[in-house]
Amino acid sequence: MTAHTPDHPIPILRLEGVCKAFNGHVAVDDVFLEVEMGQVVAIIGSSGSGKSTLLRCINLLDVPDSGRITVDGQPTHVQGGVSTRELMRLRRKVGMVFQSFNLFPHLTVLRNISFPQERVLGRSRVAADARSMALLERVGLTAKADSHPPRCSGGQQQRVAIARALALDPKIMLFDEPTSALDPELGLEVLAVMRQLADHGMTMIVVTHEIHFAADVADRLVVMAEGRIIEQGDPTSVINEPQVDRTRTFLSAIRDR
Amino acid sequence: MEHVGPILAAAPVTLGVTAACLAVGALLGMVLLSGRRSRSWVVRTLSRMVIDVLRGIPPIVFLFIVFFGIGSGAIRLAPFEAALIGLGLISAAHLAEIYRGSLLAVNRGQFEASQALGLGRTTTYVRVIGPQAMRVAIPGMVTWAISLLKDSALVSTIGVAEIMSVANQDARASGSSLTPFIVAALIYIALGTPLAFLSRCLERRLGVTGGR
Repeated sequence: MTAHTPDHPIPILRLEGVCKAFNGHVAVDDVFLEVEMGQVVAIIGSSGSGKSTLLRCINLLDVPDSGRITVDGQPTHVQGGVSTRELMRLRRKVGMVFQSFNLFPHLTVLRNISFPQERVLGRSRVAADARSMALLERVGLTAKADSHPPRCSGGQQQRVAIARALALDPKIMLFDEPTSALDPELGLEVLAVMRQLADHGMTMIVVTHEIHFAADVADRLVVMAEGRIIEQGDPTSVINEPQVDRTRTFLSAIRDR
Repeated sequence: MEHVGPILAAAPVTLGVTAACLAVGALLGMVLLSGRRSRSWVVRTLSRMVIDVLRGIPPIVFLFIVFFGIGSGAIRLAPFEAALIGLGLISAAHLAEIYRGSLLAVNRGQFEASQALGLGRTTTYVRVIGPQAMRVAIPGMVTWAISLLKDSALVSTIGVAEIMSVANQDARASGSSLTPFIVAALIYIALGTPLAFLSRCLERRLGVTGGR
């Protein structure tokens, strides 16, 4: 479990009335969500339930149509568009890991992690490289520092992607189905890194189908359907005694696979 | 054999025209591309119109417009300058489209990762997307260079003393029409073949190491 104090929770992220539609199709429908510092929230739901879109709304990869996103006490109103300055400010606090890794294939693993630090945080090359190597050590990939991403396995690429996001010292880490593109054993090495991250007190929001990971690591499980949060609570109780039919159907579908 | 010397001597002019137009096209092509990717609707539409017009006019017609039309009016243009403007602009339009196609070949995830990391728009294009797109664009650019090399024969019509122009003079002076043009053709082939070879090599190389 994580290091947050239940008595004095500090909300690091608050979503209020977030809505997002694509060409008239409502993907995220009036979502309220509060995440405390150090909390790990797992979001599950069938495909098309809006869980990935919700995640992408948090760092404004998809700008919501309406609602308010407050990260680390700084609110961003999305109504009528968001300025580049606001975008940059928000994204500096939020790291993201994608299903398809999205490492830069023309840069070495080390440059993948160092280059954004130099650009975004203005770190010197020496300082950035030092931080990158420390993070590579943490994800067990110092030996790959000079390789190019296409020469790494999917699991290795995803661990590099996690290191790249961590290097910018985010307050919150978003994971968009980080193991869905991986073989099961490669997925495990990524989940191990994420578990370690949670143990270190990182605030994490994880869209996932890994129900065991959600049960073990998450402090809260959020279930989505048709763009809404239909159920949420302690992962074990939601998994063992779902209150909503949709949750029951979805969970049994995952178990039967 | 007496035909070969003077025609071959004009080869550097052909190469010069080709290289200069390619350089102008490569740079202005970037400008047209950024116009096409602009956030402003007006700039996007204007850029697309410029590209469509330049690609829609036969090169010889455009050269005549630049040299005889514009170049003999208010501004005086030397034949080489007119050639540079004419074929350079046409190259810019074609290369802009080649660049644009290669941008589309770069995975959308690369843009998203750059955004999520908080990289600015310029940094994203120059450091992340550009280098990946260039790999895709290079074979197309070499192909364009080859057709530009051949199309440079058109500038003989506005009086640039390149291969075709010298071959033409030689044919008239010597009364032999076949040999000078055969010689010209062979020189074009000799100049173009290494480029085609280069293009194939690059395609093979980039195909192997350019994966993501």
